[in-house]
Amino acid sequence: MRRGRAIVFATALEILGEPLVLLVLVASLAVATLAPAMHYHQFGEPSRMARDAGISALLLGGAVVACAGAARTFRREIESGTAHAALAHSVSRTAFFLWKSLGCCVAYAAFSATVSLVSLTVVRGAEIGGALAMENGTMARLWGPSLVLAVAAFVVPMLAAAALNRFFRFRFVMTANLLSLIAAAAGSLYSFDALLACRLLPVFALSAMPSLVLLAGSAAFAVRFRSNAVSLAVSLIAAAALPALGNYCLSDALVDGGAVPLPYFLAAFLSIVPAVAALLLAGVHFINGRDVQ
Amino acid sequence: MNDDMVISLKGVSKTYRDFWLRPMVNAVDGLDLTVGRGEVFGLLGPNGSGKSTTIKMILGLLAPTAGSVSIFGLSPQSVEARARLGYLPELSYLHPYLTARETIMYYAGLCDLKRSVAAERTRELLKMVQLEDVADRSVAGFSKGMARRVALASALVGKPELLVLDEPTSGLDPVSTKEVKTLVKALAMNGMTVLMTSHLLADAEDICDQVMILDRGKSVAEGRVSDLGESLEEFFLAKVGNADEFVLADFLA
Repeated sequence: MRRGRAIVFATALEILGEPLVLLVLVASLAVATLAPAMHYHQFGEPSRMARDAGISALLLGGAVVACAGAARTFRREIESGTAHAALAHSVSRTAFFLWKSLGCCVAYAAFSATVSLVSLTVVRGAEIGGALAMENGTMARLWGPSLVLAVAAFVVPMLAAAALNRFFRFRFVMTANLLSLIAAAAGSLYSFDALLACRLLPVFALSAMPSLVLLAGSAAFAVRFRSNAVSLAVSLIAAAALPALGNYCLSDALVDGGAVPLPYFLAAFLSIVPAVAALLLAGVHFINGRDVQ
Repeated sequence: MNDDMVISLKGVSKTYRDFWLRPMVNAVDGLDLTVGRGEVFGLLGPNGSGKSTTIKMILGLLAPTAGSVSIFGLSPQSVEARARLGYLPELSYLHPYLTARETIMYYAGLCDLKRSVAAERTRELLKMVQLEDVADRSVAGFSKGMARRVALASALVGKPELLVLDEPTSGLDPVSTKEVKTLVKALAMNGMTVLMTSHLLADAEDICDQVMILDRGKSVAEGRVSDLGESLEEFFLAKVGNADEFVLADFLA
């Protein structure tokens, strides 16, 4: 267990220390926050627009973080030789691969939690803004405090991380990523609505599922192939071929009152499990069958 | 299996193959090697002679094409065998995003040490390799010598019975080289078995009890350093030759 903890911790730190992950996080949070805040057309459903912006950010940004994070960490371990040093210790190749994949999941979970919590804040702001607009007969806008909190979730952590790096030598990217998660959690608590959270969090969890398939595929194929591009392409093809992705027609699921029906969620989850397991087994087979040069 | 035998290679060969599985190069060819408990064994040879490939087979990172490898009487793939060894790679492979302290703690975790024990051991090792002042700095900014010391501390964190050193003084300045040699001698005095590769003959002469000279994947000589009867450099050149120098001399003439 201690070996596993060490590998998971080091892997999560590595991925959260990647400048690419911070850039994708900031871009995703900006899309989730600013797209509904700066719209030029009124469709009468600002909260739905806020929710869809969050889902888009989570799907696209999440796919990049999951694929790039897993593929890069495995390739770098093998190419730079850190895998040699780890596998020369008392850890089996299977355990190394599986714990490292879990580390990738932890980093991905931090990313998706940040985006989901900020989206929750923005959707809540849109609902309050819509209610206020109806009362006053004005155009619906995001509720001011929610907008400020959502923007603060990615601006304040960057400034704080820069200050901590300047004065205390904290690692900038890693600190900014972790502070964003804390700020997003604090912001969502300010205007927390339990019913809204119960309705939206399963939607965001559902959006995160395809990324888990891509993550497992990227990890497995990064062990087998020498190029990140090849492993990414193969994992995308493998993931697209899996029946699990057929379940992600979110529009069908959301059309009825904006929540995901439980049977739909369970069916999606149950189709994810064998897909991820199959890809992880492939990864275990690849890592045990290869020379680590 | 003799209890005093730490490493045993019998008729080991390794052939690297290309994508189509065609043989590309015979890196090691029919190698027999035994290292006893408490020995400091040097694997010497010019670049490309198969030293690192041999080490990686001993560590279980490469599978031999033919022959058998055992450490402590077990397969090198077994976790129990690898729990008893420490490894210093040729290049100081470190995670650039971790600090020196986190790096040693990471390897302590891989050795299954309790957190409190790992923290104490990390403190001791940072002091031993004189990196206490920079313990919380990211290793990405370290000089080659500092990175080497972190790698050495990581290899020693699990208190191994067998220490495998691949070119331990590579890239170190004379002072650091002397420190590493002194440390290896001290570890050997305390009963640790050491297997090291080097193409720096002076290092091997200073540290090793027993050496094997490899050339093109084959053993061309083996014996105790004290029994060689001449300097190791002369012995080495007689066995391996210095053909490259002659080619260069012809070219310059």
